[in-house]
Amino acid sequence: MNNNHFIFKITLAFILSFSFKTIAQTDWIKWNKADYTYRINNLVEKRNYSFDFNNPGRFLLKSLANAYWFFISDVDGDNCSFNPTCSNFFILSVEKTNIVQGTLMFFDRFIRDMNIFGKVNHYPRVLNGHFYDPPSLYILDSDSINYIPPSVVVKNE
Amino acid sequence: MKNLFFIILIFSSIIFSQENNQLVNDNLFSLPNIKKFADYLFCQKDYLRAANEYERILNLVQNDTIEYKIALSYLEMGNFNEASTRFNSITESSSFYKSAQAQSLKLVFQIGDIVKFRSQYLYINSNRAYLDSAGLASLYMFSFLLTEESLPNEDEFVNAFQIAEKNKIRNFYEWKKDFPEKSPLKAAIFSAIIPGAGKIYADEYSDGIYAFIATLAAGYLTYDNFKAGHDFRGWIFSGLAVGFYAGNIYGSAAAVQIYNAHIRFDFVNELKAFLEDKNYFLQVFNFCN
Amino acid sequence: MCGYLKFILFFSILIPIKLFSQDIIQNQYSYALKLYNSEQYYDAITEFKRLLFFDREKEYVYDANEYIGMSYKIGGKFSEAILYFTIAEMNTDNNEELFNSKIEIVRANILRRTISHAVALLDTLQKDKKFTVNSGNICYWKGWAYIFDDRWDEAAHEFSKIDSCRTLMEFCKNVEQEKYSVSFADIISHFFPGAGQIYASHYFSGFLSLGWNVLWGYLTINSFVNNRIFDGLVIGDLLWLRFYNGNLENAVKYVKEKNLWITNRALDYLQFDYQGIKP
Repeated sequence: MNNNHFIFKITLAFILSFSFKTIAQTDWIKWNKADYTYRINNLVEKRNYSFDFNNPGRFLLKSLANAYWFFISDVDGDNCSFNPTCSNFFILSVEKTNIVQGTLMFFDRFIRDMNIFGKVNHYPRVLNGHFYDPPSLYILDSDSINYIPPSVVVKNE
Repeated sequence: MKNLFFIILIFSSIIFSQENNQLVNDNLFSLPNIKKFADYLFCQKDYLRAANEYERILNLVQNDTIEYKIALSYLEMGNFNEASTRFNSITESSSFYKSAQAQSLKLVFQIGDIVKFRSQYLYINSNRAYLDSAGLASLYMFSFLLTEESLPNEDEFVNAFQIAEKNKIRNFYEWKKDFPEKSPLKAAIFSAIIPGAGKIYADEYSDGIYAFIATLAAGYLTYDNFKAGHDFRGWIFSGLAVGFYAGNIYGSAAAVQIYNAHIRFDFVNELKAFLEDKNYFLQVFNFCN
Repeated sequence: MCGYLKFILFFSILIPIKLFSQDIIQNQYSYALKLYNSEQYYDAITEFKRLLFFDREKEYVYDANEYIGMSYKIGGKFSEAILYFTIAEMNTDNNEELFNSKIEIVRANILRRTISHAVALLDTLQKDKKFTVNSGNICYWKGWAYIFDDRWDEAAHEFSKIDSCRTLMEFCKNVEQEKYSVSFADIISHFFPGAGQIYASHYFSGFLSLGWNVLWGYLTINSFVNNRIFDGLVIGDLLWLRFYNGNLENAVKYVKEKNLWITNRALDYLQFDYQGIKP
């Protein structure tokens, strides 16, 4: 029993000596007392029901989107495996480009959403497990493409 | 007196028989003790604490070795600006001067300013006596892989590196020279002819098949509904068919751009991994073994 | 004679210096502790590390590592805290110190939300005959581990074993009773679309879900009745089934949200208002 305890201690000391080197990184920035909370985080995303009053076109588009989300999308469950969702993707695409290009991006997204086989090793994920697929990848501007490999979990969208 | 002498002799031999060289004098904050502790922290990779301890020494006495270690600490932590300032403050008379200058130039490369690195290298290169010339020459040649400038001759390129590295370097050279990028325009044309073909060209096989099926299905439903006299439904499905068709063409071009970004990403990652492994071809001082 | 005198004089000066080196270590310990007590935790860790580096007698190994662990814990760096508590555990002199180190590891695991590790450690402590006298303490931390794992009924059960924790036991029981039943919401939603959402106080969403299900259900059945099989299949699959599944999903989602609110309210009370010992 004493021998086993001794061997355990030596093994633990050996493992700990490696742990020091990886843990030293946490002290590369001077930190203070943490303000942590006992609360459990809610990973469910809240809808953005805001309106854009500056632009009549965007106001109309956002109103239609809000109506769709409120009466249909929030009732029929979580059907889109992407983040942002297809409807949100459409809004963001139109905001980034224009109505025509945004619509084309939306149809392309819809086809990719129908594909139940090709997503797993193709898109990175966000924390809630959905596939990360932002509109910036599809605006036909190679400089705006921030390629993220599929193995990565995106934390700050 | 003699007895007292022997008592003290025995007593002191017991006390001083232990190895007590760790505590140099009676002050933990004396220069030698601070240095011992700082060196320990440095070797434990506790770089910020090590740098702070080394700063204490510098507040009392100027020392280029300490300055170099502070610079290395900031370099390891990724604080390139501070590291660069520290490397540049090392005097010419120091034995670390050459290495510090080389590290400072390497930092410019690490930050990603390849153009600045190349121009600084060419400017300083005339003063060969001050530089880790072989290593920096390799790094300079390597930088061609990361710019849009035309590559030099293959033999000239490969000969700038050590024999053990040449095979890998030759592979990088050939990869860069015949970079397997694809054309978004070609993808769009393929998809215009056969829906989904452009996606398959971009290696998106399943997306291509779905694009084909969606466009075909919408087209068929359009035809079928118009044939059956359901005009309203016919127009809806025709709108969907046009949308899927146009979206598939657009999406194919976008897919090729993402494909190109992917292969560029993989290439740059391989280059970075190689550079990290070779420590950017520069000499490394190991203060810990 | 003169030589002996010189030797005696020389060593009578040197010997106190050697003896005083442990005083220096003790002063360093006091200095590090002062930094810890004045909430300068990063600097306290530096000074405790300095203490450990120069402490040849290994007199302060346990205490210094404990305080380094406590500093990391207060700084929110729980993995680092556990590492140093483990080192302290390896350098204990008695069962009391050993138990304290293990409990600190448990507490850091609770805060880090690696509850399975915390519970496994506590189970090991419970089985160890050396710590039979500490069984109350072990139950107390097991209760806290279950609280952080949102298992309020099990937490209440653990607190019921300790006479002085009746308040905590009642608190946990009340939280468990206040929570909504996820399985109940799921079951009633299967039979009556929207019922689960109404149970979770989302009335508008519940009635809207009911409405959509009635509409698409009617259209599906109507299509089949009128021999429009394809239409019936399309409406049934793409619309009715979608909204029916959405009703089930929302019922569970809203109940879980409600329960999360109840849990977080309880956790807020425990963190800010509860006066007892906390992780």
